[in-house]
Amino acid sequence: MKEIDEFLRENKPVVKDDPTFLLETRRRMEAVEGIKYEVDRQRSHGRVALIVALIVGLAAGVLVTLLAFLYPIDPLTVGDGLWQHVRVFLETWKMYLVYPVAALAVALSLVLTLGRKKAARL
Amino acid sequence: MTQERFIDLVRVEQEPLRRFLLALCNGNAALADDIAQDALVRAYVASGSFLGLSKFSTWLFRIAYNCYIDHHRKVRPEEAPVEAAFAVPADDASDASFRYQQLYQALEKLPEKEKAAIALFYFEDLSIKEIAGILNMPQGTVKYNLSMGRTHLKQYIQS
Repeated sequence: MKEIDEFLRENKPVVKDDPTFLLETRRRMEAVEGIKYEVDRQRSHGRVALIVALIVGLAAGVLVTLLAFLYPIDPLTVGDGLWQHVRVFLETWKMYLVYPVAALAVALSLVLTLGRKKAARL
Repeated sequence: MTQERFIDLVRVEQEPLRRFLLALCNGNAALADDIAQDALVRAYVASGSFLGLSKFSTWLFRIAYNCYIDHHRKVRPEEAPVEAAFAVPADDASDASFRYQQLYQALEKLPEKEKAAIALFYFEDLSIKEIAGILNMPQGTVKYNLSMGRTHLKQYIQS
């Protein structure tokens, strides 16, 4: 076995000196950075859009809930038309309006908290 | 890890890494460098998860070995080019060239794990513990692969 040991140690593969190797590595790393930047940008845009949608939804939900509770209507006295139907619907189900509004508030707080934790990690 | 820090570490490790892959690729320098670049990109992408629990070189070699295995699985041996471009320095004497050819042809016949263990132990002078870390196997298995690899190489070279 000694000969094979010697043979292997004396015949280590020789790597040709290639100055372009590190240049190519650097070029690929730049490409990776470009992709990372683009992914982060897209993710950030998506997050902003989500937060805006949640805030708008929450504000609209709070407003509708307040209106429903502050200005109750009598379903028997309202007339025809889509808007009147919506008002009757809200009047009938107003006690449940608070649930979707609360869900929106929880979702918004989760998105904001998770985003802040991620930023702190970076 | 910053890009500059990563490049600094790679500058030190690139030669051993390329030599290890050259041995695994049976002397095909172009393929070895291709896999090395692939491994470096993977390492760079994952560099945030490198916690420094092992040496950078061990971590990098493990990624490179996995890249090689992935490539090996994708390209079946019968699809591989018949004539590998043996990376023998042009100014070497013909007997050295012959020895390299003999070495690569013998390495080509070895099972992957034996070949990797032989390359890391003899060409990179790594300890059994480090090799076990790179190949993700117990130290006893590394010793077994080394022993089997030596026996097989002896047979192939003598024949």
